[in-house]
Amino acid sequence: MKQKLLKLFLILFALSSVAFAQRRTITGVVTGKQDGLPLPGVSVIVKGTKTGTQTGPDGSYSIKADPGQSLVFTFIGFNTQTVTPSSNRLDVTLSGQTSELNEVVVVGYGTQVRRDNIGSITPIKGRDLAEVPVQNFEQALGGRAAGAQVTIPNGLLNAPPVINIRGINSLSLSSQPLFVIDGVPSYTGDVSGASAAGNALGNINPDDIESIDIAKDGSATAIYGSRAANGVVFVTTKKGKKGKAVVTLDSWYGISKVQRLPKLLNAEQYVMMKNEALGNAGYNLANTYFALETDANGKEINTNWNDYVYRTGKAYSNSVSVSGGSENTTYYLSANYSNQNGILAKNSFNRTGVTANLDHKVSNIISMGGKISYSDEQNLAATTSGSQNGEAFNIAGLGRIPLVSPPNVSPYNNDGSYNLNGNALGLGNDKGVSTSYYNIVPVLDMNRSNNEVNHVSSNFYFQLKPLSWITLKTTYGIDYLYSDNDIYQNPYQGDGYPNGSATDSYTKYKRWVWDNTAQFDKGFGKNSFSLLLGNEQQRSTQRGFGLNRTVISDPAFNVIQAGWGTNNASGLSYGENYLVSFFGRLNYDFDKKYFLSGTIRQDEYSAFGANSKKGYFPGVGLGWEITRENFWHGIGADKVFSSFKIRASYAKVGNNTLSDYQSFGLYNSGLYNGTASLAYNQTGNPQLGWETSKKTDIGFNFGVLNDRITGEVAYYKNNISDMLYGVNEAPSAGLPSNPVVNIASMYNRGLEITLNANAVQNKNFSWTPSFNISFNQNKLTSLSPGLTSLTSITAGSETVSISQVGSPIGDLYIVRTAGVDPATGRRIFINGAGQKVYYQYYAPTGAYNWTYADGTKAPAITQATDAVNYKKTSPTAYGGFSNTFRYKSFDLNILFTYSLGGYVYYGTGAGLHDQRFWNNTTDILNRWTAPGQVTNIPKVVYGDNVSNGSTLPLDINVYKGDFLKFKSGTFGYSLPKSLVNKVGISNLRVYLSAYNLFVITKYPGPDPEVSSNGTGGNSSQGIDRNTAANQRTITAGLQVKF
Amino acid sequence: MGVMLSISCQKSLLTPVSQTQVSDQDYQPFTTSARINSQVLGLYASIRQSTTSNATTYNSIFGGRYQIYNDVKADNWLNYTANSVTAYQTWNETVTSTASEVEGLWTAEYRTINSCNLFIDGMAAKGTSVVGSTQGAYYVAEAKFLRALAYYSLLQLYCRPYWDGNGSQPGLPLRLTGNSSYNNYDLARSTVAQVYTQIISDLQAAETGLPTNYADAATNTTRAHKNTAIALLTRVYLTMQKWTDVINEANKIVPVSAPFTASSGVANTLQATPAAAFTSYTTTESVFSMPFVNATETPGSQSALADYFGGLGSTEFYLNPNGVIADANWKTSDLRRGFVATKSGRGCITKFPTVSPYTDWAPVMRWPEVLLSLAEARARSTQSVDVQAVALLNAVRHRADASTTYTTASFDTYIDLVNAILQERNIEFLGEGLRNIDLVRLGLTIPAKGTVPAITSSDPRYIWPIPNSELLYNKLMTSNP
Repeated sequence: MKQKLLKLFLILFALSSVAFAQRRTITGVVTGKQDGLPLPGVSVIVKGTKTGTQTGPDGSYSIKADPGQSLVFTFIGFNTQTVTPSSNRLDVTLSGQTSELNEVVVVGYGTQVRRDNIGSITPIKGRDLAEVPVQNFEQALGGRAAGAQVTIPNGLLNAPPVINIRGINSLSLSSQPLFVIDGVPSYTGDVSGASAAGNALGNINPDDIESIDIAKDGSATAIYGSRAANGVVFVTTKKGKKGKAVVTLDSWYGISKVQRLPKLLNAEQYVMMKNEALGNAGYNLANTYFALETDANGKEINTNWNDYVYRTGKAYSNSVSVSGGSENTTYYLSANYSNQNGILAKNSFNRTGVTANLDHKVSNIISMGGKISYSDEQNLAATTSGSQNGEAFNIAGLGRIPLVSPPNVSPYNNDGSYNLNGNALGLGNDKGVSTSYYNIVPVLDMNRSNNEVNHVSSNFYFQLKPLSWITLKTTYGIDYLYSDNDIYQNPYQGDGYPNGSATDSYTKYKRWVWDNTAQFDKGFGKNSFSLLLGNEQQRSTQRGFGLNRTVISDPAFNVIQAGWGTNNASGLSYGENYLVSFFGRLNYDFDKKYFLSGTIRQDEYSAFGANSKKGYFPGVGLGWEITRENFWHGIGADKVFSSFKIRASYAKVGNNTLSDYQSFGLYNSGLYNGTASLAYNQTGNPQLGWETSKKTDIGFNFGVLNDRITGEVAYYKNNISDMLYGVNEAPSAGLPSNPVVNIASMYNRGLEITLNANAVQNKNFSWTPSFNISFNQNKLTSLSPGLTSLTSITAGSETVSISQVGSPIGDLYIVRTAGVDPATGRRIFINGAGQKVYYQYYAPTGAYNWTYADGTKAPAITQATDAVNYKKTSPTAYGGFSNTFRYKSFDLNILFTYSLGGYVYYGTGAGLHDQRFWNNTTDILNRWTAPGQVTNIPKVVYGDNVSNGSTLPLDINVYKGDFLKFKSGTFGYSLPKSLVNKVGISNLRVYLSAYNLFVITKYPGPDPEVSSNGTGGNSSQGIDRNTAANQRTITAGLQVKF
Repeated sequence: MGVMLSISCQKSLLTPVSQTQVSDQDYQPFTTSARINSQVLGLYASIRQSTTSNATTYNSIFGGRYQIYNDVKADNWLNYTANSVTAYQTWNETVTSTASEVEGLWTAEYRTINSCNLFIDGMAAKGTSVVGSTQGAYYVAEAKFLRALAYYSLLQLYCRPYWDGNGSQPGLPLRLTGNSSYNNYDLARSTVAQVYTQIISDLQAAETGLPTNYADAATNTTRAHKNTAIALLTRVYLTMQKWTDVINEANKIVPVSAPFTASSGVANTLQATPAAAFTSYTTTESVFSMPFVNATETPGSQSALADYFGGLGSTEFYLNPNGVIADANWKTSDLRRGFVATKSGRGCITKFPTVSPYTDWAPVMRWPEVLLSLAEARARSTQSVDVQAVALLNAVRHRADASTTYTTASFDTYIDLVNAILQERNIEFLGEGLRNIDLVRLGLTIPAKGTVPAITSSDPRYIWPIPNSELLYNKLMTSNP
C-alpha cells in the first residue's frame, strides 16, 4: 500500500511538471458579496465550451482559456456572472443570498463546501458557544446538533460531558467522539488525578473557536478509520482575515446558584421522625433518642447542611484578541483569563491561556503557517464531589453529605470549635445512637484536592502548490499536557484522619501528529475530481509518578514537603501508543448533480494484538442533487426547492480506544520475603483488535424558497460488531483476568431531523429558528456464547444496570414493589414469580422479615432472583430548539433542549428515605402511622434501609427522565455605531445571558440530565446516585471591537 | 524515496515492549535465570495470596484464609462480627455456591495451579535451557510441590473425603497444562482418587527433585526442600488413611527415637518451647510458612490470622468456651495455655501477636504435625499402643507440659492412644487450620458450636459447594450433592 502510494505521488509530480502551452491560464478568487468570504465550489466554465472547473476550498480557481473567451461563474443561490478576463487574473464577487449550504465544512484533512458534501456533518458556529459560561466548549454543544446527545454529568466544574453521537456505540471501550482540534487529534477526558475534574479540552477558550463540525455518518468519518466509530468533532479555531487589524474584547461576569435541591426535614421534624422510627424498631426511648439542642444564643439548632456545601458561585472571563492580515500574511493572537467559582464550596476553575496563529503565503506556490496555544488550568476542589465516575458512594461526597447529615446538630460547638466525635460529626444531645459520617465543614475548610493542567498545543504546516490543482501539505502538531495533582487531607476529620495525608503526583501526556497529504482538485468539463492521498503518524506517551505521605509531624503544616512519617509511591503510570495510517479519498461530481465520495484508510496501531495490527476501513457515499435535473424543472419543483440532495453512505470504521497494553499477556513484579517475584497477572489476546462499526446513512438535504428554509433528514443504522468485553472463563482455567475478546455486537439505529429557517429577514427584524430532533434505538444483539446479560455496577457498590441481549444496553435492573400495605405499613415487594412479599425491618421474636400475604415466611427478596429488566435509560428522542431574533440593534438567542422516553434511576432518592440516622425529604411526613392508612411511604423503622431502596434498587426510585430545559439564552444590544465610532470602537455589544435557567420535568431530583458514572459507564448511564446538582448561571457580558 | 519510507512509518513503535511488566510472548518470563527465579518466588507468593485485579480480600490462600476457613468451620471458635466477608457463613455452615469465600478460594487456588502449570511448561520449552538442568529440576520440583499443595487444599474443602468410597466421589477438574488465552476450558471433574494420585505423583517428583536444603534458615522455611515434600506427603497419606504410606514416608526423615530431629536434609526438629516457633519465624520447627514483611508484604485486608484469632483488630472470632480450651486434659501447666488470652471478655490466642498490618508469618506445616501423623499412623496400623507412637506423642506433649510424661501405660487401648493424638493435634495446631481437616478425613461429626448445629459426615454441609461461576462457565462441571 505504502509503496503504491509513493509511486502514485511520483507520477503525479512528473505529470504536474509537464507544461501546457498556447492558451493562457486565468486564475482568481470568487467571493460572496455579502460577507466577502471566499466561495468554494463555484462552477467556472469557458463560455460555449465544455471546459470547466470549480473553485477550491479557498475560493480560488484556475482555468485555461483562449484570449477573448469569457468565463461563466455559476453557483446555487447566487446570480450567475459572465466576465471576459482582461488579464490573467480575474477575481469575481457573486451577489446573492449566502446560505448555510455554501459554507465550508471541515471534512478531515481538508474542507469542503457544505453543498458538495454528502456526509452527515452538523456545523456549529463558534459564536453560539462563546457566550455560554462553561469551562470547556463541550458543555455548550448540547442541543445544537441532531444526533449528538450531550449530558453534563454533575455540578462539578470542568467535568467532561458525556457525549454520545447517534447513541452509545461501545460496551466497554470509549463511546466518546474523536476531537480533532485544528487538524490534530487531541487528548480528551478527565486528566485530573484529584477530586477536581480536569477536562483535557478545558484548555480551549470558547471565544477562540470559529466553528465546530460534528461528523456522524460513515462517509464523513471513514477518513479517520479505526478512530471514527463514535463520530468525529472537528474544532476550528479563529484565524486572521485580510484587512486592518481588528481588536476584540470579550468579557462576562456571572453568578451561579444551585437549583431544585430536595426539601429536607428541619431539626424538629427530623428529631420527631427519627424518634418515631426508633420506637417502631423496639428501642428503649429512655436511653436511645435523638434530641434538639441550642446554640450559644439559646436558639434551637437547625442546620441546613446545603448552606455549607453549596454557595453562590461567582465567575468572570476576559478574552482579548487581535487579528488581521495583509495580502499574504494573516495572524490571530488572543489571550484569556477565566476565573470561575462553582456552586460547590471551594470548587473553582481558573484558566490562563494564550493562542496565536499565523498564515503566510510566500509565493503562489509556497505557503506556511502554524499556531501555538498554551493554557494553564487550575481545577480546584476541597474534597470529593461524590459525583464523578466511581465516587457515588464516597462517604463524604458533596452531593450526598448535606442530604444525610443530621439537621439537629451544628458543625460547630457553642465555643466555636468543630463539633467532632472521633472521625465523625458530634452527636449533640442525641443519646444511644451514632452518626458515623464526617463533619464536612472542617473537611471543606482544610482539605484540598487540586489539579493543575499545563497544556500546549501547537502545529506547523508547509504547503506547496506546484500547480493550481495540486496541493502538497505537511503538518506537524503536538499536544502536550502536564497534569499536576496536589492533595491534602487533614488529620482531624475526614479521609486523612487521624494522621493526615498528602499526595502529590504528576503525569505527562505527550502526543505528536504528523500528516503528509497530497490534494488534487481538477475539473474536466462538468466532471470535478478531488483526490486526497495522505499519511499520518500519531505517537502518544504517558508517564506519571508521585508520592503519598502520611503521619504528619506537625499539623500546622499541610504541604507534602513538610515532615511526614511514611512515604509511598503514588500515581505511577506508563503508557505509549503509535498509530500509523495511509489514506485516500476521492470526491467526484458530475455537473454538481451526481456526487461520489470514496474513502479508504489503512491503520496500524500499537495497542492492537500482535496478530491484528493492521486494519482497512473503507467508506463510500453517493449524492444526487435533484434540483439540477431537467425533470425537476419540468415539474416546477425548482420553484419550491432551491436544493434537494439525496445521499446515502456506507462505511466500515473502528473503535481503537483499547488501553496500550491490553492485548499483552503480562507478568507483574512483586516480592516474596523481600526478594523480587514475578507472577502472571493479565491474560493476553494477540488477536485483540478494533471494534467494527458498519455505518449506513440515508438521507436528504433540502433548501426551500432560495434556501430560506433548509433541512436535513437522515436515517442511520450503525452495526457494531467485535465489541470488546472480558469473557468469563471457568475459574478453574486459572486465568489471571477475564480474556478480553472482540466478541459482542449491538446496533444503533435512528432518525434525525434538522430544520433551519430564516423565517423573517428584513432590515430591522429577523427571526432564525432552528430545530432538531433525533430518535435512537439501541439493541444489544450478542454477548459471548452462552451469556445473555451483563450487569454493571455503579461506584463499586450498587448494581442497577443490566445489558441484556435483545434489549438496549444499560437498562435498569430493578426490584418491583406494590406500594405500602395499609394494614401494617409494610413495603410490598414483588418477587420473581410475581407474588407479593411484605417486608418488615424489625421482626419480633417468632415473626419474619419477609412474609407472603398470608403471613407465612417468604425467602428474602434478592436482585439475582427477583429483579427485572425494568426500563431503558437512553432517551427515545432528544434534541434542541434554538431561536435567534434580531430587532434593530437588539438580538436574542434562546436554546431549549429536551429529551423524551428515557428513565433515570434516582438512587439519591433511596438515600433520602433511608431510616438510618440520615436526614429525609419532607414527604417522609406522609409515612404510614395507623392501620387503614393509605400512603406511599411505609412505616418508619429505625435502621430500615431495605424498604426505601438502599440495599436493593427499587422501582419507586425510577422516574421518567423527560425534560424541557432552558439551556441557554442571550439577550444583546449593540450600541449605535455612530456613537461608538466616535471613541474609536467599531462595534460594542452588551448582553445578558442565562444558562440552565430552568428545567420542566417531573423528575424529583435536581436535574434528570446527570450521570453518576460519567464517560466511564457506557452500560450504566441514567443513574443519579448522590450527584451534586447542576448550576444555574446568569451572566452579563460585553463585546467590544476596535 | 527511502527517506519517505522511513519517515512515513516507524515500525518499531508498533510493537511496544512494556517497561513495567514482562510480556508472556515468546517465553519472555523464561529468558533470564533471574526472571525464572523470580517466577518461582511468584508461585510461592501466589499460594500465599494470589494476584488478581479484583476481590483482593478473597485472594489469600495459605497467607491466612485457608487456615482460617479450616479452623472456623470446625468447633473451636465462635463468631463475633457476623460479617459475611470474614467467613461468617463458613462458620455457621450456611455457605452457598455464590459465597465469596467459596468463589474466592477456588479462583485463587486455580490461579496458582495454572501458574505452576505454565511454569512447568515454560521450563520444558525454554527455561531449563537457560538455568541448566540441575537448577531447572529444582525449580520444576518446587512448582510441582506447590501444585500438589493447591490441589490437596482444594480437595479438603470442595470434595468428599477419600474414605467416602475410597476416593470414588467427584473430585476436581484436574488441570496439568498451562492456560494463557481465550479458549474453551470445559473440563469434567476427576474423581477424588485421581486427584490424590496426581498429588502423590507431584510430591514424589518433588521429593526426588527438590534440593535437600537452602543457604539460610529463612529460605528453608519459605521454600520447599526435600523434607517439605516428605512432610506434605505424610499429611496427604494421613488424609487418605493410608497408614503404611505415612509410616514409610515419615521414616525417611523421622528417627526411631527422641529427640526426633530430621535425620537428613534440613534438621527439622521441635524447638525447646511451643512459643519459640512463633517468636522466631525461621526455626527448624517451621517446616513451611508463608512470610510477611512489614509495609511491603502484608496479609491484606481481613485475611490475617491475627485479625481473626488474635484479639487484635476486629477480632472476627473468639474461642468457643466448649471447644478445645474446655479440655481438662489440657492442663494449666501446659505452656500452650499461655497462648490463650482474654480480650474484652472473649477468648483469643496469642500465637500471632503482631498488630496491624499483622505481619506474623502464617504457618503451613510445623514439625510436630509430622511427628503426630507418624504417631497416629503407627497406632492405627499396628492397632496397638505402639511404643514409637507414644514416644512421638510424648515429645509434643512433654515439651509443652513438663508435668506430663506419656508412656505406653498411659493408654489402655490403641483407640485411647489415637484419641490422645487427635486431641494433641487439636491443642497443638489451634488457629493453624488443621482442625476441620482432621475431623473430615476421619468422617467425624463436626460438633455443634454456639447456635450452629452439629454437622454429620453425610450432611451436604460437611463440605463446601462448588462455586457458582465454575458451574456457570465450565459446562462439564457438576455440583456437589
